[in-house]
Amino acid sequence: MFFNSLAFAIFLPIVFFLYWFVFNKTKSTQNALLILASYYFYSCWDWRFLFLLVFSTFLDYFTGIQIEKSNSEKGRKFWFWLSISVNLGFLGIFKYYNFFASSFAEMFTSFGFKVSPFLLNVILPVGISFYTFHGLSYVIDIYYKRIKAEYNFIDYSLFVSYFPLLVAGPIERATHLLPELKEKREFNLEKAKEGVYQIVWGLVKKVVIADTCAVYANAIFDHYPSMNSFSLIMGAIYFAFQIYGDFSGYSDIALGVSKLFGLDLLRNFNYPYFSRDIAEFWRRWHISLSSWFRDYLYIPLGGSKGGLWIKIRNTFIIFIVSGFWHGANWTYIVWGFINAVYFLPLLLSNSNRNNMDSIILKWNLDSVKVLFSILTTFLLTCIAWVFFRARTITDAILYLKRIFTNGEFSPQYLDNERYNYELLLMISLFVLVEWNNKTKVEPISGKKSWLKMALAIMAIIAFGTYSDYKEFIYFQF
Amino acid sequence: MKKFLLYILGVFLLTVLIAVLLDGLYTYSFIQSKNRGKIETVFNSTAKKYDVVILGSSRANNHFVSQMFEDKGLKTFNYGMSGGHLFEASLMLKLMIERKYEIKNIILEADLNLSNDQESEGVATKFLPYIHCSKVIKDHFSTEENFNELYYIPFYRYVKFDSKIGFREIYKIAVNEKTNALDNLGYYPLEKHKNGNMKNNIVNLNPLPRNKYYEEIKNICKKNNINFIAVMTPMCENVVGMNYFDKVKKAYPEIHNYENTVIENKYFSSCGHMTDEGAKRFTAKILSDFFSL
Repeated sequence: MFFNSLAFAIFLPIVFFLYWFVFNKTKSTQNALLILASYYFYSCWDWRFLFLLVFSTFLDYFTGIQIEKSNSEKGRKFWFWLSISVNLGFLGIFKYYNFFASSFAEMFTSFGFKVSPFLLNVILPVGISFYTFHGLSYVIDIYYKRIKAEYNFIDYSLFVSYFPLLVAGPIERATHLLPELKEKREFNLEKAKEGVYQIVWGLVKKVVIADTCAVYANAIFDHYPSMNSFSLIMGAIYFAFQIYGDFSGYSDIALGVSKLFGLDLLRNFNYPYFSRDIAEFWRRWHISLSSWFRDYLYIPLGGSKGGLWIKIRNTFIIFIVSGFWHGANWTYIVWGFINAVYFLPLLLSNSNRNNMDSIILKWNLDSVKVLFSILTTFLLTCIAWVFFRARTITDAILYLKRIFTNGEFSPQYLDNERYNYELLLMISLFVLVEWNNKTKVEPISGKKSWLKMALAIMAIIAFGTYSDYKEFIYFQF
Repeated sequence: MKKFLLYILGVFLLTVLIAVLLDGLYTYSFIQSKNRGKIETVFNSTAKKYDVVILGSSRANNHFVSQMFEDKGLKTFNYGMSGGHLFEASLMLKLMIERKYEIKNIILEADLNLSNDQESEGVATKFLPYIHCSKVIKDHFSTEENFNELYYIPFYRYVKFDSKIGFREIYKIAVNEKTNALDNLGYYPLEKHKNGNMKNNIVNLNPLPRNKYYEEIKNICKKNNINFIAVMTPMCENVVGMNYFDKVKKAYPEIHNYENTVIENKYFSSCGHMTDEGAKRFTAKILSDFFSL
């Protein structure tokens, strides 16, 4: 059941009605309903993996309590590592086993040893990377005594399996979401309206921007050897907007849906393509994952404290692990590596926190510099996205090489019977709307919201791509 | 909560209003469309007179050279549509009759397309903008599974088939961008392709014993005193399952088998589609057999 499907359009009002009119007596009844709804939502993909989700919930709930109850450090460590190893074990088996097995086999083959790896015939349970990280952060926080263990199983289960964030985030923290789940929610008109604005804007991003860009990006990436330089550049830009529209659109819908139930989730995107350097980009892109890795990996490794080599090591570890989190493919690892290379000079020159202020443009030279730095950051991001999108590293390198060697910058008719430049106007308009509203969560709220709502609905109906339907990209992660 | 429910109702009504307005705007645009394709042209036309009208799939579109008919003094147009099935050929003929066309002869390419009586989504979609403007189109689609959504939900058909009749098509109509569908009197010549697929396997294909839309076309012709000529058109040498054409002949004895009129690969662009040269040889044979004066 996708957020942009008819099934969800029926599911959501039913849950909303039951939540506010039938199960509204206590927070426990509200939470119980949301768990049932979440399990139903998840089982719509594959009910068999519901057991994995329930098991993971039980495991972290139980080990969390045991860590807290243990009198000895040895006992705490035992329960902590049990949870960590089982959680990562599941992730390893379902997501990474085949990758490691085939990579080792390839390595041995290159040394002259023929190896036939034993591969598992399993599909990746949807959302496993997200709910595993929910559980991990919870257990780690208990172990380091940052939070108390949750003894109410219903509240904890909802924290892990809350349907708006279950399959593609944002990755919530127990410190943020659990306290909200401990309170009975009262209906708030303004919050609910904000939720509707965010859902509508998320749909614009998904069906108008992401799915339309996908039609062009796919046509270009899938036939890159026959594309000219201009098409290849456009392909990278289209993919940049596809993945942004897709993932931030999903996050907007998730946050908006959650507001309808009176719950605030962590913001996941903050106009990342207006970043002035890569460090700022990573503070604005997939914020919940970046901050997760910062808090649970980078800082425990020593962060930016320590010597030069420690800084370099930690930077590469966090970015490469972040890339690997996205998928079991060398392309994601290289994507993470490239971002580390982009980030490192900023870190070493202590300028990684230079651009913490908001962007204000005026008619002066400084603003030209700001625009130039935004464009440069976007360009660097697009180069990295080529690795993220390409099937193999070789494909990505050949794609980039061809941009420089082909030398033709003319309109090209693509295999999907469309010209390579057709989306430029739409993307420009989208960027303009986002730029003018970059201080807000979405552009619909505020003055003349009915007019803006009408325009957004019109865009969804008239300019959305429906016949060439695309799943949300981050479901695969 | 009451205020919120009223707000949601407002958003819903706004969505319906926008859908109705866009539906009207898009439909109006399609009614103005004249040089985009064969379906639009027929729908937006008035009575025409033809000696010969050609119907069928791409194997009609690429195989009957209209100009050769014209050279013989026969006013002809090739209404064959690439990817089309008999569902669309039948509807096309019904539209022509609704617009009071006077047609002396119909040549129907009836061979591989006899194996199904489903709509071809890519082609049938082009009729949908007119579903509220033509009883013939409405009735033709009324037996389709998704008819109610297509007919009653405003703008649904434009959303569902956005790649064919969506915004891009409206834009092209607005800027009057021509297609080549109407060039060469509807005939689309093919060139020899270096990498053309010259193998075809039709072993699993079987003609339906009574293809609903084939029978419809036959009956319309009979009712309107149109001479009905159904033909099977050529395929290349390397076809596996050539007895398909014998099965067609057995089920429909009135269909003329011209499958082996042109057989050499050099006359084919791909296994099911002749080059311009092959099409001319084939058309010459048809002309001599049916229209020798």
